[in-house]
Amino acid sequence: MKNPSLYKGSLNTIIMKLLEENGRMYGYEITQKVKLITQGELNITEGALYPALHKLEADGLLDVDVQKVDNRLRKYYKLTEKGTTETVNLLAELEDFIRNMQTLVKPNLEFKL
Amino acid sequence: MKLSKEQIERLYRFTREHFVEWYDLQTELVDHLANAIESKWNENPNLSFEETLQSEFKKFGVFGFMDVVEKRQIALNQKYNKLVWKHFKEFFALPKILLSFGFVAVLFFVMKQVPDPEIFFSVVFVSFVAVALTQIIKHIRYQNRKTKPDEKRWLFLEVIRSYGNLSLFFVIPIQLFTRITNSSNFFQNTVLMLVVSAFIVAYSLAIYIIMYVIPSKAENYLHETYPEYRLENV
Repeated sequence: MKNPSLYKGSLNTIIMKLLEENGRMYGYEITQKVKLITQGELNITEGALYPALHKLEADGLLDVDVQKVDNRLRKYYKLTEKGTTETVNLLAELEDFIRNMQTLVKPNLEFKL
Repeated sequence: MKLSKEQIERLYRFTREHFVEWYDLQTELVDHLANAIESKWNENPNLSFEETLQSEFKKFGVFGFMDVVEKRQIALNQKYNKLVWKHFKEFFALPKILLSFGFVAVLFFVMKQVPDPEIFFSVVFVSFVAVALTQIIKHIRYQNRKTKPDEKRWLFLEVIRSYGNLSLFFVIPIQLFTRITNSSNFFQNTVLMLVVSAFIVAYSLAIYIIMYVIPSKAENYLHETYPEYRLENV
């Protein structure tokens, strides 16, 4: 990833969108999924992912579940009802942001189309 | 290739060595490291366990797990504050609001009867301090208790047992006490007396929630916060 700070503000939206699509996921799975989708371009760091997950959980947007897998316990995250509603809002906000950025960066794009 | 039971135990020890004292966080980090090591082994089965562990740990950055621990504490403190607020609001909704107003009314009338404001507020102040002191002693004893090396510590339980911010127990009554005793016409001002009664009741309710209500339900809140708590305590 070339400039991680550009993605920073959208971390919650990325996590919630993934959970919306996949139901429940665990931390490591989220990092790998993002890497896979973006073909290695975006690499969510461990030090950023867990604090974000814990914050979303404390805000009541995520719910947790624990299951024994192999020799260890695995903590799964899933969206709560409040989280599902919030995901819609966050995605809409992000789309607005992308549109605005596009207009700013390539002002002539609209005319060309 | 999967990690053995001994290797998982080693990962738990590793998190403890890197200042993650709480079992809930250890568990999540152990699973993360285990997944990362296993995936590395899939690519190259000849890698040693210790070396792979160290290289995965490096990905957490120069501060290691500290950032994750710190943010987790902040998140659980927020959760705790919300919990206190939720209980507090219950005292201002039916049916408990009747009780709260009852307390305010009783306090107001008692205040009107007392001949000496300084004595009255000294009693109020001393009782706040007495309650705070007993709780602080209990808290210090809890903090200093001998913990077994393999004892599972739960961060949210420790947040509950820290009773929010202890300094509040002293600061607010001292402020209230000095302000009121300095105002000579306090006992002529009905509105001010009502406000102070309401404040003392609200403050006492907050202390009651922090010190008794939430700790008495700690077990329920742990079940709610940690699904693994149930798995560990069956």
